[in-house]
Amino acid sequence: MASLAYGPPRRAADPRAVASRAATRQIQESRLARSRWTPLLVPALLLAGWEAGSATGALPASVLPAPVAVLTAGWQLTRDGTLPTNLAISASRALAGLAVGGTLGLLLGIATAISVGLRRLLDPTIQALRSVPPFALLPLIILWLGIDEGAKIALIGWSVFFPLYLNSYHGVRSVDRSLLEMGRVYGMGRTTLFRRVTLPGALPSILVGIRFALGLMWLALIVAETIAASSGIGYMANQAREFSQTDVIVLTIVIYGALGKLTDTATRAAERRLLRWNPAYGER
Amino acid sequence: MAQTASRPLVEQASGGTPIVVSGLVVAFDGPPVIDNLDLVVDPGAFVSIVGRSGCGKSTLLRTIIGLEAPQRGTITVDRDRARIVFQEPRLLPWFDVLTNVVLGAGDLPDARERAAETLALVGLSAKAHEWPTRLSGGQRQRVALARALVSQPRLLLFDEPLGALDALTRIEMQRLIENVWSRQQFTALFVTHDVGEAVMLSDRVVMMDRGRIVSDTDIPAPRPRRHGDAQLATIEGRILDLLLAGGS
Ligand SMILES: Nc1ncnc2c1ncn2[C@@H]1O[C@H](COP(=O)(O)OP(=O)(O)OP(=O)(O)O)[C@@H](O)[C@H]1O
Ligand SMILES: [Mg+2]
Repeated sequence: MASLAYGPPRRAADPRAVASRAATRQIQESRLARSRWTPLLVPALLLAGWEAGSATGALPASVLPAPVAVLTAGWQLTRDGTLPTNLAISASRALAGLAVGGTLGLLLGIATAISVGLRRLLDPTIQALRSVPPFALLPLIILWLGIDEGAKIALIGWSVFFPLYLNSYHGVRSVDRSLLEMGRVYGMGRTTLFRRVTLPGALPSILVGIRFALGLMWLALIVAETIAASSGIGYMANQAREFSQTDVIVLTIVIYGALGKLTDTATRAAERRLLRWNPAYGER
Repeated sequence: MAQTASRPLVEQASGGTPIVVSGLVVAFDGPPVIDNLDLVVDPGAFVSIVGRSGCGKSTLLRTIIGLEAPQRGTITVDRDRARIVFQEPRLLPWFDVLTNVVLGAGDLPDARERAAETLALVGLSAKAHEWPTRLSGGQRQRVALARALVSQPRLLLFDEPLGALDALTRIEMQRLIENVWSRQQFTALFVTHDVGEAVMLSDRVVMMDRGRIVSDTDIPAPRPRRHGDAQLATIEGRILDLLLAGGS
C-alpha cells in the first residue's frame, strides 16, 4: 500500500536482535539520564557549530560574528567600563520595577483573597486592566513620564504586577481549609494563622508568580530600553545597531539571556529551599 | 502553674472538665442535623458516640468545640482547655513534626520541652525533625494526638481518629489513647463507627440517630480490658443489634 512508504522499513523480526537493541538503547538512555554534562551537550554543539561556521566563512561576520569576536567585544567593553555601568543601570531598573509592581501585586493579591470587601471592590477592575497588553501602554507612559527612569520602571512594574497578583490571590484562596480550621480550634489568632498557615500554604503559588514575573521583567526591560533609553544594555544594543557592530549586538543578546537564566536559577534554588517540606520540590 | 523541677511537664494529671449539652439544635440549610439533643459527660469520663453515617456525630463535636454555631440550646464546656483530633491528622506540612506539636501548646511556657516530652509519650521522639509527609498514616495520627495532648487538655474530642488506620495500628493507637487517658484523666468524647472499639475504650457508649441520642449504655467492665473479653463481646452485640434495628 502506498501509505506504507512513509512508515519504517519492515524487516524480518529476529527476537534476539530486538531484545539486544532494546537493551543497548536502555543503557544509552540511562547514561544520558545520569551524566551531569547532559544539559550542556546541546549548547556545546550549537557553540561548536557556530564556531565552525565562522571559521569556514559560511557565517560572514556581518551576519553573525564568531564567538571569539563576541567574547573580545565583551572584554573590551568591560575594561573601558561601558558594560559594567550599563549592566548596573539595567539591573537596577529591572529590580526597581519588580520591587514596586511585584510588592503591589503580592500585597493586593493577598488582600483581595482574604477580604471579601476588598475583593469585590478591586478584583473586577484589576481583572479588566489585566487584559491590556503592557506594551500598548507605552505611548501613554512616555507621554506622561517622558523617557526617563520613571517611564521604564512604570512599564516593568505594570508587567510584573499581574502574575504576582494572580498567583498570590490564587495561592491564598486555595489554602487547605481544614488546616485553617485546625489552626482556629488550636487557638491561633488571625495574625498567627496568617503567618503559620495561610502564607506557607500560598507560598508555592506565590513562587510561581515570582518566576513568571521575572520573565516578564526582563522582557519589559528590553522593550523599554530599546524604545527609549540613553543608557543600559538595550541602549548599547541600539548604538551598536547604528554602527553595525554585530559583535556588540550579539553580546547584548547573550547578556539578556544570561540575566534571564540567572534569575530563573535563583528562583528555582529559592523554591527548593523554601518548599523543601514538599516532596514535589525537596529532592531535585 | 507551679511546677516542681523533678517532675516532667506533661505527666501530671490535669483532670477532666464536664460537658453539659441541653436542648441543642444545629441546622445547616434544611431540617436540623442535631435535633434537641441533651448530653451530660462527667469530668474524666471516657464516652464514645456511635451511630450511622450522617446521624450528626461530627456536627455534635464541631459544635461543642465551637466550629459550628447552634440554632438553639446551650453547651457548657471549658473550650480553652479542650482539644479535638480529627479523622485526618491535619498537620502543617511545612513544619517538622516537633514544631507541629509545639503549635498545640499555644502560649504555654516551655512549649518546646513539653512538645518533645509529648512526642516521647506517643513514641515518636526519633521523628521529631522529620517532615510530616515522610511519616506513615499511623505515625501522622500519633503526631496529631501529641499536638492535642501537649497543652494538657481537660477535654479531648476525637472524631473517628483511627478510621483510616489498619487493624494492627488501630489496636496500638487504642492502647495509647487509653493509656494517656488513664494517666492524665481528661474527659474524652470519642466518635467511632466501630462499636467494638467504643466498647473496649469507654465507660459509656452513646448511640445517635438522626440528631438525637437513642441509647446510652454503661460499660462497667474493669480495666485494663482485653480484646475478645466475653462480657465486652455481649455488650458489643447488644449495641450492634440496636444500631441495626434503629436505622431504616
Ligand atoms: N457544613 C455543612 N453544610 C451542610 N450540611 C452539612 C454540613 N456538615 C454536615 N452536614 C449534614 O449534616 C448531617 C450530619 O453530618 P455529620 O458529618 O455530622 O455526620 P456523621 O454522623 O459525622 O457521619 P459520618 O459517620 O459519615 O462521619 C449530614 O446529613 C450532612 O450532610
Ligand atoms: Mg463524621
